[in-house]
Amino acid sequence: MKRDLLTILALFQRAAGRPLLLGLLVAGVTVLAGVTLLGLSGWFITATGIAGLAAGAALGFDVFRPGAGVRGLAILRTGARYGERLLTHDATLSVVAALRVRLFRALARPGLARALVQRPGRLLFRLTGDLDALDALYLRLMVPLASLLLMALAAGTGLYLLIGWSGVGFGLYLLVLGLALLGLGVRGSLAPGGQRAAALESLRLRVLDLTSGRVEWRLAGRAQAMRDLALAADRRLAQADERLNRLDITTGIIQGVAGTALMAGALLLGATLVAGNAITPAVAALLLLVSMGLMEPVAALRRGAVELGRSLRAATRVAADLRPLPAPATPARPAEGVALRLEGVRFRHEGAGAALFDGLSLTVEAGQHVAILGESGAGKSSLLALVTGEQRAEAGSIGTLPWTLLGQETALFQDDLRANLALADPTADDARLIQVLADAGLADVVAALPAGLDSLLGEGGSGLSSGQRRRLALARFLLRDRPLWLLDEPTDGLDLPTARDVLARLKARAAARSLLVVTHLRREAMLADRLIRLEKGRISLDVRREEAGFEEALTGLRGD
Amino acid sequence: MAPLPPGIMKDRSKPAADRQLKLGALCQSLADLFWIAQAWILATAVLAMVNGTGVAALLGPALGFAAIGMARTGLDAAGRRLAFRSARQTLTDLRRDALDHLGRRMPLDPTLPASGTLAALLAEQAEAVTPYLQRYVPVRWRLMLVCPALLLAVAWHSWAAGLILLVAAPLIPLFMALIGIRAKKASEEQLMAVGGMNGLLMDRLRGLPTIRALEAEDAVAGRIQTLATKVKQQTMAVLRIAFLSSAVLELFSALGVALVAVYTGFHLLGQLEWGTWAGRLDLAQGLFILLLAPAFFEPWRDLAGAWHDRASGEAAIKALNALTGTAAVAAESQSAPPPPAGTALLLNGIRFAYPGAAAPVIDGFDLSVRAGERVALLGPSGSGKSTLLALAAGLLQAEQGNVQRQGHIGWVGHRPFLQNASLAANVSLGRAGSDAGGLIRRLLPGKEAARRIGEGGVGLSGGEAVRLALARALADPDAALILADEPTAHLDADTAAAIADVLVEATAGRTLLVATHDPALAARMDRVVEVGA
Repeated sequence: MKRDLLTILALFQRAAGRPLLLGLLVAGVTVLAGVTLLGLSGWFITATGIAGLAAGAALGFDVFRPGAGVRGLAILRTGARYGERLLTHDATLSVVAALRVRLFRALARPGLARALVQRPGRLLFRLTGDLDALDALYLRLMVPLASLLLMALAAGTGLYLLIGWSGVGFGLYLLVLGLALLGLGVRGSLAPGGQRAAALESLRLRVLDLTSGRVEWRLAGRAQAMRDLALAADRRLAQADERLNRLDITTGIIQGVAGTALMAGALLLGATLVAGNAITPAVAALLLLVSMGLMEPVAALRRGAVELGRSLRAATRVAADLRPLPAPATPARPAEGVALRLEGVRFRHEGAGAALFDGLSLTVEAGQHVAILGESGAGKSSLLALVTGEQRAEAGSIGTLPWTLLGQETALFQDDLRANLALADPTADDARLIQVLADAGLADVVAALPAGLDSLLGEGGSGLSSGQRRRLALARFLLRDRPLWLLDEPTDGLDLPTARDVLARLKARAAARSLLVVTHLRREAMLADRLIRLEKGRISLDVRREEAGFEEALTGLRGD
Repeated sequence: MAPLPPGIMKDRSKPAADRQLKLGALCQSLADLFWIAQAWILATAVLAMVNGTGVAALLGPALGFAAIGMARTGLDAAGRRLAFRSARQTLTDLRRDALDHLGRRMPLDPTLPASGTLAALLAEQAEAVTPYLQRYVPVRWRLMLVCPALLLAVAWHSWAAGLILLVAAPLIPLFMALIGIRAKKASEEQLMAVGGMNGLLMDRLRGLPTIRALEAEDAVAGRIQTLATKVKQQTMAVLRIAFLSSAVLELFSALGVALVAVYTGFHLLGQLEWGTWAGRLDLAQGLFILLLAPAFFEPWRDLAGAWHDRASGEAAIKALNALTGTAAVAAESQSAPPPPAGTALLLNGIRFAYPGAAAPVIDGFDLSVRAGERVALLGPSGSGKSTLLALAAGLLQAEQGNVQRQGHIGWVGHRPFLQNASLAANVSLGRAGSDAGGLIRRLLPGKEAARRIGEGGVGLSGGEAVRLALARALADPDAALILADEPTAHLDADTAAAIADVLVEATAGRTLLVATHDPALAARMDRVVEVGA
């Protein structure tokens, strides 16, 4: 916990150290101006009151300097408060924005993302809720803490000069009270703060499940049950809120009692010192009003401490996500003349008992076109995942040329067509984009759209039919110029004329490349001049076009 | 003072929560008024010091001051507690209303916001409601009760000091109103930017494997950076306005206190003789006025503190109300009569156009399916066969024509929703009495029912996902009508044939409507209806 907190604070310091430090100083100036204003006013009125009683003294009393001081402090306080807020918030928001990008990159690393990508909702929470909670570490912990320390120092020193050693007591009282409330607040808010964050996350995920699966829930008659589940998360959230509110009220009572006691004590101390002729009644009034103003940073620190549980939890998780991972094995390049080589590969699905591949070896020569055939579950998709590095082999070695993949489920993004394509090649111009769209059989569809390449796609590419979605993914694939093509059922779901057209275009462009196509369709397997069939993780057939058995293997596949 | 938005406290038919909030506000206001007595004790004590009274005589006043202070702390705590409980209850009520409304909307209604946006609205954004009600409402009460009382107490001694406060105070709401108009707009823009960023992040995180396959991490990170910067700017725009409004307040209150102090000082010196009802103030009266002046501005300062809460709270309530205020309601509530006996599904003169589309995708479509019949809707992609299935299932509302159907529906979706849960849980979807294990053995041979899959089906091949959806549809023994959208599109030849067998076998006694472009599957049906083209 402490180490994670330091990690995050170090990140803050590195991202915007100077503005953050300046913010602390200005915050201190703000509270000091406030308490000085109060003290000076009290002294001024009492002193003038006393002077007014003695007829001659009134004429000699310098009213202008204290009067100007009061007005000046009032304006200083206002300006300092405004500046402090702008400064501190701008600095923290910049830090958080920078962290957001950093964290996305960290989360996008294969090692981390594989586990997390099962719940993108959880990932999203890391990037939003957790990061937004971090700003409180500075705004609600560091800023009031710095104000408290400055105030305790200034009050102790200033009152020592005015009333002697008992003045130091005020600084100490303030310090002890503030730190005690900080400790109480942090200790008490850790558990409910964590519960609150967990419940809020659970609420968000359940609403996400409820809305993204609304067709299934509705037709299964489970919509009401999902609603109840989401409301149960809100109930847990309310329980955490309740505990945090009780803590807030309790510490608030302590603060109120301590503040009252401080003022009553200041009254008696002032009276004692006046009776002993150590100070004038005007200084006693100053003491009273200063002790009234001393509670300001304590109140801010207390409020911040009560809300700190959530931020500390977030800090722990963000620090864990940002921790460096063992560097992913840089894909080894295979020997000259080889496009892809697997050697003695062992792999098992997470949580599965038996290994899917055990000692799998396979070599694809440069320029060779290979089709991987097999039933569902034979390991076709896992083979591709190993080649692309999405999955890691337990043993064995894998070497590939730079590749590009057309997956079975290629994601399209909520963005315009151009941006979806540009992910594959940010430098491509419109003419090139139109060219690849035509290659994928989409030119007419895009030409008919009023906004053309600027047309927006909805969530998951909605707005296009499933065939059009696949063709768009195909266009994006064609944009990437790589020596090794990986195809995962590339024309499945397309209507026959377009499928044939696209396959013909793929074939024409594949001439100079190596190609690995995973398929169960005859028309796709016909791209290949070597067929490999997988059965339960083993190669049961490996034939080349000129060899016997090639045609039989083709005929056994699903036709059009 | 701006009134509370309609539909939040007034006609929410939650009078108990409303009363509790008012009681809490009243307690906090009364607690504030205790300060008048405390200030008087302090002021007279200082005068006693000037007059040379001993310490012993001040012991009583000091104890009295402390006792009132304790009572004040307790009453204030009780008031804040009441306000919190009421506000938190209102948040739960709002969430429940929104969820209930979502349950009534058409599931495929294209005007529904994206799932990520909805989740953010109901979770984080709605959280702004509690602080808004809990802080803002009591502050309004204190403004109306405490400020006039303090003003009266000051003016009782000196009309001039009262006048200073009176002049400073109305300037505050004037400036705040001017600033408030901009604050609201900025806050709405900021909410939209946050929602947009969350939607984009969710979208990109779902496609993380694709992004990595395209080596597009840099491009996406750049995009996120742009949006994050925009959110930061929008947030700062909101905050700048909020800070400006509180700076205006601070300025007027600080100057108000300073003017009162300077006036009183000059008056006590005898340099300003006017401003009182009778004669010169004494020191106690002067100090009393000075001690009340900051307290007079305290509710105004708290108002500024609650101002940001108000903006985001009202924006959240508005977004929630916009969601629940939409009229689109599922067909269940306006259910058509069941079709004549022996007919499972009757579509009559159906017309449907997607919003913004130039031409309807379906126009004047009729279909009658007999109970137990197996029908294929055959057509190329984009011909509207999936839309027809959605209309038949009641997932979309036809513009014209009516849909009549008999019994439950089993749905085999095009891109099934897959939860981060076990296979068995994904099949049963929590329905009691479904034979998930048996269906998994039959349709997903070799898969363990307890195996966990990822959100969106991570860990399943495309073919397995469709088979799982089929198992899910068959899991309801009362599903008389099975609607299947391209069930064999992602399956290899052998499995496709097996699925077609299972479809035909398992739907014996049920009615089957399949949308497909696969002639082999269509040929297995009793009847083929060509759609579009």
